[in-house]
Amino acid sequence: MGSKEEIFARIKAHGVDQVERPEMTFTPLTFPEPLVQFEKILKAVGANYVLLEKGQDVNEAIRKAYPEAKTIASNLPEVTCATVNPDKLDDPRELNGTDVGVIRGEFGVLENGMVWINQHTRYKALFFIAEALVVLLDRNELVNNMHEAYARPDFDDYGYGCFIAGPSKTADIEQALVIGAHGARGVTVILQHPPL
Amino acid sequence: MSSHAKAAKKFIADRERTAWHDQALYFVREKRDKMAHDVSEWEELREMASRMKRHTISNLAYYLDMFERNATANGIHVHWAKDAEEHNRIVYEIIQKHGGKNLVKSKSMLSEECGLTPYLKARGVDAVESDLGERIMQLMGMPPSHIVLPAIHVRREEVGKVFEKELHTEPGNSDPTYLTHAARAALREKFLHADIAMTGVNFAVASSGAFVVCTNEGNADMGTSFPKVHIAIMGLEKVIPDYGALSLYIRLLARSATGQPSTTYTSHYKKPVEGQEMHVVIVDNGRSDILACTEHVNMLKCIRCGSCINTCPVYRRTGGYSYSYFIPGPVGINLGMLKSPEKYSGNVSACSLCYSCSNVCPVKIDLAEQIYKWRQNLAPLHLAAPSKKFMEKGMKFVMEHPGLFYPAIKAGRIAEKMPRFVLYNSLDAWGIGRELPQFAEETFNAMWKKGKMK
Repeated sequence: MGSKEEIFARIKAHGVDQVERPEMTFTPLTFPEPLVQFEKILKAVGANYVLLEKGQDVNEAIRKAYPEAKTIASNLPEVTCATVNPDKLDDPRELNGTDVGVIRGEFGVLENGMVWINQHTRYKALFFIAEALVVLLDRNELVNNMHEAYARPDFDDYGYGCFIAGPSKTADIEQALVIGAHGARGVTVILQHPPL
Repeated sequence: MSSHAKAAKKFIADRERTAWHDQALYFVREKRDKMAHDVSEWEELREMASRMKRHTISNLAYYLDMFERNATANGIHVHWAKDAEEHNRIVYEIIQKHGGKNLVKSKSMLSEECGLTPYLKARGVDAVESDLGERIMQLMGMPPSHIVLPAIHVRREEVGKVFEKELHTEPGNSDPTYLTHAARAALREKFLHADIAMTGVNFAVASSGAFVVCTNEGNADMGTSFPKVHIAIMGLEKVIPDYGALSLYIRLLARSATGQPSTTYTSHYKKPVEGQEMHVVIVDNGRSDILACTEHVNMLKCIRCGSCINTCPVYRRTGGYSYSYFIPGPVGINLGMLKSPEKYSGNVSACSLCYSCSNVCPVKIDLAEQIYKWRQNLAPLHLAAPSKKFMEKGMKFVMEHPGLFYPAIKAGRIAEKMPRFVLYNSLDAWGIGRELPQFAEETFNAMWKKGKMK
């Protein structure tokens, strides 16, 4: 008998009474003014919020947010200020030292400031290794809470995906909050109008 | 005196540190309270999360099988380990197959439970902890003292000293930002040169065959971004039915653990990327036997947020090393007893029965109630302290005989007039660190009889 069979035999021998799957009996948090809440919660988790007006160029906004940046890595066609296309590198280690990574977010979550990133780049290292991360997000793609987030019909369509809420942080030394533990030291979420 | 009380003596000898430790944890507890109050449906959320776990536990084999089937279809290799030894062997065999030497890992209490790091070290594999708190403890050569905040008991000056020796930081500099960024630079090299990545698992989603890892630092994701092999290890109670269930736990976990609306990174691993191998090791190691303990089966609901530890007045004032089991606080007292009452019964006295742990637990585990039950069962297990048994017998006799009870209360008042050395001596463990209360002039019973009470 293999270990799986042994474990399953023990589980079945000790079987506990059947309990039905619970139904949702409450109405989860919603936010009447999505953009106001998103700005507030992003600030709370340490991220910058930029709302682009119609016709404003995303490259200008990136440059304005990180004027000192020398290397900007992105595979997004509209990011013309990119200095590197990370998908063309042979090894993700080459991304070490990147100043800014620019990626697309699928949707944002108003209750906690998370943005869902579905890996559409060759290397996921880009999301974590860049000193600063810029996330481009459609301003209409905001959900209230995690129930709505996971209920999106296309949610399960990923190989690797990550909810990111602000910059990397730690409080492991005396509970003192320090930004920039291993991942990005800064995160800017740029909200755009949907493409026409 | 219990093993906990003995070990705690050392910790509380430094009063200033005890007070600081207490406050640092209460600060986390208060942040948790604020988060809970900001979510109006918090109590209903806890209730549903608790029932969802109960549902999962009652269908454990069904969901584990579903997870394995879907994960395998996604290209993940799934392994089963009945105990710690088998877990370590499976992990080592995968590493060996790839000729791995340098493993970088994110936090996993399961690897502590299995003693994985020393096992690998003995076989020439260097396993580097990448969570800052875990790394501090690894460099200090000590185990974590908390499951979420591994170095909560360490002062910044102590971190500074260790980093000065190990990472060559500036002598005397103990600024947390400076030290954190020094660790960032040093660990960046480890990430880039590791050949095996290891993570724990917070949740395994059966319906999708994906697993979720939550960190604030991004160390799990950084770790898995370069090596060709990713090994994820999980206790079998980590499986949950689907994304509907996941939404409950993601909402509760970080709010309960550290008082944040979410962790910074909530990573979903479903398929290995091109050229990478992904393994999941599902470990039993005594978990399936918990199903047979009707009174304690709720322990399988635990999502390891640590909120019961942060709120525990005994933990806050005695520190993680006072407990003989590797997980401290209310959760550890109970898990230790399920592991081995003979080895870990010395922790059950580390509870004032304030029930705060049961009230903050995001999945509503009856932690304090269970500790109380363990205490009641110490005598049948022949683990009760003889002095306590003797006292209980005497108390029972007096309580059951009113003719003795009232004279005994009167006699008790004589204690107030006794010299200190009689009351507070080494034979009386209760008198150590405690003062007797002042007795009222008259008993309630006497006042009632005189018609003073209505």
